[in-house]
Amino acid sequence: MVEIRFHGRGGQGAVVASNILAVACFLEDRHVQAFPAFGVERRGAPVEAYIRVDDHKVLLRTNVYTPDHVVVLDPTLVEVVDVVRGLKPGGLLLLNTDLPPDRFPRFAPFSVATVDASRIALRHRLGSRTHPIVNTAILGAFAAATGLVSLDAVCRAIHQEVPSHHDENAAAAREAFEQVAVAREADR
Amino acid sequence: MRRVVEGSHAVSHAVDLARVRVISAYPITPQTHIVERLAELVADGVLDARFIRVESEHSAMAAVIGAASAGVRSFTASSSHGLALMHEMLHWAAGARLPIVMAEVNRAMGPGWNIWADQTDSLSQRDTGWLQFYCEDVQDVIDTILIAYRVAERVSLPVMVVLDAFFLSHTYEPADLPEHADVDEFLPPWEPVEVLDPAEPRAFNQLASPEFYMEFRHKMQQAMDEALAAYPEIDRAFAARFGRTHPLVEHIPAEDGARAPLALVTTGTITSTARAALAELRDRGTPVDLVKLRALRPFPQDEIRRVLGPYGRVAVIDRNLSFGYGGIFAQEIRAALSSLADRPVVYPFVAGLGGRDVTPDTVRAVVDRALDDEPPGDILWAGLKE
Amino acid sequence: MSPVTLRTSRDLPPTSRSLDTMEWNHTGSWRFLRPRYQDKVAPCAEACPAGEDIARVQMLLAQGAFDRAWLRIREENPFPGVCGRVCSHPCEAACNRGEFDAPVSINSLERFVADHARRQGLAPPPAEPADSGRHVAVVGAGPAGLTAAHFLRRAGHDVTVFDAREEPGGLLRYAIPAYRMPAEPLAWETGLVMSGGVRFQPGRRLGEDLGWDELSRFDAVLVAVGHWAPAPLGVDGEDLAVDGLALLEDVRRGRPPEVGGRVAVIGGGNTAVDVARTLLRLGAEPVVYYRRRLRDMPALPGEVAELREEGIEIQTLLAPARIAARDDGGLDLALTPMAVLDEDGGQRPRVVPSGHPEIAVAVSAVVTAIGARPSPGTPAAGLDPDGSEAVALHLRRIRPRGEWAERPPVFLAGDLVNQNRTVVAAIASGKEAAVVIDAALRDRALGDAWSAIRVGRKGAVSLNRLAGGDRAFRLDHVVRYDDLNTIYFQYLERKKRPRITLDERRTGFDEVHLRISASLALSEAERCFHCGQCDHCDNCYLFCPEVSVRRDPRAETRQIDYDYCKGCGVCVVECPRSAMVLEEEPR
Repeated sequence: MVEIRFHGRGGQGAVVASNILAVACFLEDRHVQAFPAFGVERRGAPVEAYIRVDDHKVLLRTNVYTPDHVVVLDPTLVEVVDVVRGLKPGGLLLLNTDLPPDRFPRFAPFSVATVDASRIALRHRLGSRTHPIVNTAILGAFAAATGLVSLDAVCRAIHQEVPSHHDENAAAAREAFEQVAVAREADR
Repeated sequence: MRRVVEGSHAVSHAVDLARVRVISAYPITPQTHIVERLAELVADGVLDARFIRVESEHSAMAAVIGAASAGVRSFTASSSHGLALMHEMLHWAAGARLPIVMAEVNRAMGPGWNIWADQTDSLSQRDTGWLQFYCEDVQDVIDTILIAYRVAERVSLPVMVVLDAFFLSHTYEPADLPEHADVDEFLPPWEPVEVLDPAEPRAFNQLASPEFYMEFRHKMQQAMDEALAAYPEIDRAFAARFGRTHPLVEHIPAEDGARAPLALVTTGTITSTARAALAELRDRGTPVDLVKLRALRPFPQDEIRRVLGPYGRVAVIDRNLSFGYGGIFAQEIRAALSSLADRPVVYPFVAGLGGRDVTPDTVRAVVDRALDDEPPGDILWAGLKE
Repeated sequence: MSPVTLRTSRDLPPTSRSLDTMEWNHTGSWRFLRPRYQDKVAPCAEACPAGEDIARVQMLLAQGAFDRAWLRIREENPFPGVCGRVCSHPCEAACNRGEFDAPVSINSLERFVADHARRQGLAPPPAEPADSGRHVAVVGAGPAGLTAAHFLRRAGHDVTVFDAREEPGGLLRYAIPAYRMPAEPLAWETGLVMSGGVRFQPGRRLGEDLGWDELSRFDAVLVAVGHWAPAPLGVDGEDLAVDGLALLEDVRRGRPPEVGGRVAVIGGGNTAVDVARTLLRLGAEPVVYYRRRLRDMPALPGEVAELREEGIEIQTLLAPARIAARDDGGLDLALTPMAVLDEDGGQRPRVVPSGHPEIAVAVSAVVTAIGARPSPGTPAAGLDPDGSEAVALHLRRIRPRGEWAERPPVFLAGDLVNQNRTVVAAIASGKEAAVVIDAALRDRALGDAWSAIRVGRKGAVSLNRLAGGDRAFRLDHVVRYDDLNTIYFQYLERKKRPRITLDERRTGFDEVHLRISASLALSEAERCFHCGQCDHCDNCYLFCPEVSVRRDPRAETRQIDYDYCKGCGVCVVECPRSAMVLEEEPR
């Protein structure tokens, strides 16, 4: 079973991202379960969402404590939230940032992947300058960095789950798929 | 069609499949997604129903009581304090013998203010005359809504379909959404016997003097008995059409053909986690059988005696608390077993109140203590901080 | 302060409560949206051509601050006593209350404030502007000229007003009947203008007693002589008819004509209504003949209604064809029946003879009131579209060419330039003239300044905004009905204006409308939503879940403590009058 944690800010679409990823995995005949951190949601506050992917029915109905991968939608969260809390050694940390992965030496025990999802989202006119909608772009990067799910499945899930701008969202995912940079823990 | 669906939306779509004609509800976390999706379905013209907006849960229940009195299939949903505010009308719906179905999202009662999973809200409504079915996963939610209408309309009593806050209400997972045609076969239109009809004015639910009141109550008890008796047949009909069965008491032995030294009784989503935790324990050489209890009312006493009676030890996990006594399901089970001459020792655990996570570790700790020679007592706390 | 850390569950109190103040919890850090107090533009203020700060005036009235309400009006308009009587009050048509129950009776309240000020003998605070050393001539002492003179004087200029007649007021003094515009309140307000230092030279008719040699000695000239010349009827026997404006002037000068019997009044505007009602009061039996339909009459609907109440007949779709003298000294008036040609397009449809035979009526006199033309002496260049240019909405300037190149800048205001010849439009024109002439005398380009001093989108000009007063800080958003939270308002009946009896109205020139009482004024002003104006109702304070609205009752201010405001926006939603905004927090 693979467990993934998403970090975002309320209103940024972290919960939707986890749902799209769940649908993408489901489309590839995996068993999935996605759920948000059960909090009192506020716009702008740090939020988390989770997804479990398995070859069998997911029975565990508990919080995710030791994720295999962590995805961070908002670069500012790295400063305020312990984003690698419980991350399994060697696990992947995917950050939305314009910096390359080697600029995060403090996450040394983990593989770090980075992608400038904000810029990609804006180029595809997703959201506004102050509030780009990055959740679809980041999933393209996730597909490339983990190989857990195909880009094709992510794009099909986007068409199913995103209410509008399907093509722009799918194009953003494709671009992020190409642009993600990964520094494997084993290579460092 | 199999698709990934949120637990709350599963309720909404099942309500659509049941061709409910009147919905009235007041939003409350964590029930809100159910009502939002239903409002969308009605507004979009997908679901041909009236959505009656009200200013409180008490009024929501009053509205569906009115609708059901007129012979219309009706639905509402609530949670926690909202359910508590409905309390008076819950008695009324049952006493008026109306087959209303309500989705109840288990949430803790305040204060301290808490929006997370806890069964004390629905269990506090135990004696209102409502049937109560507890769900384990998203598929269970869809199926139980459909079964609930069939049972309710069979015995003319209302049914509460209960699901855990967030662990089920806000969880997306794959589930089968049946086709309308199949559901129509399983759940034909309700044919009420007595309906409120302005063309034929009559009095409903008027004064019942001591001369008759007790008989009305006797009839309600008979209806509960009938629900218990009819349930297996309805479940078989459901299984025949949809290939899934939902017995009121599900017995899951760790090893086929063998009885483990301990049976663990769970309700709601804890059952799902326990399935995973007990499978792991079995593989490590500690077989524990699992018993999923689905109904609080009508309480399947005979089935409980038949399934649990032969065990030496029974552990019960309650995500609820009757202050001054203990976990409520455990009380009910102990009471049912008390008529047996040779009965198991019951270990009544209270865990997971107010959304505290019940993890495989919690389940293992419960099993360890029940298998250890800990004196059973009236209440055993699991996961309590020092 | 810092959060209390629990070491064991024994430290827990019986239920969830904080062990110390929660002030350490700066919930403002959660904020995504930021509420802010922000006054906006009320639709009445936008609709008032004179730029009065109506919603704020109503608020002061509702608080019983009658004196301050009067001063507030006079910041923008020196004639509340005039406008409170004869204004067409477009403010009421724009009033958001109209969508709720009925518009606030703004016009009656303005009259109330002005009468209160006059009875109390209030005086505006003496303005002691720095003397600019510049001299301005204003020709015409009507509402446009006097308004311009008033504000130019306050701006520090030396102002001389010339008028052909003996007293200032123009049409207000010499045309509009006394039952609508009594002499005393007018004289009081023109007197206040003069007491501010404006010089008045009566009996100086432009082109006769006043020449351009004299006017050229000023640094700027404003011509606002109005429309007094009768428009020709264009029918045979026209010379047998009496000019309505001349008749009204005779009456106001105390020389009422001898009239009796059936008198035909030709026209459908306010002058026609004034003439008919005056004739009735003089003992005649007037009948109004109008070439279009009742609903097309340009007269104020309220005036038409009062005319009909007084029993005066209006005959519509009849145009005069001929006037002939009769042997008995009376007149024969021939009328052509008309028909409406097209309904679409503008306010007034075109009419043509219907083809039905002419109607002849025997009358003792025919009075025309079909409109007036620029007064004699008005510079022809100013009326020529090529000879002058528009410099503001209600203001033109004669192009400095030919003989005009040698003269100081000459501007035209009031009815000479206004499409809509109402008193309030004349006042608006006078304000624009004051703004433009003051800028010209100070060699200051206005340019973009217009947008800063306009109120809303309908052209109203605020001198408070020009001076950087509180209105300059309002958000340029006109509050619409949907912006309000009307749950906090109750349905309340609009107060009716008390009037003298019908018998009194038919037989004398007493003012028809009575002053409303102070208690009636208070309760009517309380009906005002105060759109976009914080009136300290404290809904924000009551609803704020973080107690982050700070009140300072003595200073009458409300402030948001942004350390604790979490940006939920409930204050903005619950503000009944849209006097707050919710903005995205800058990140």
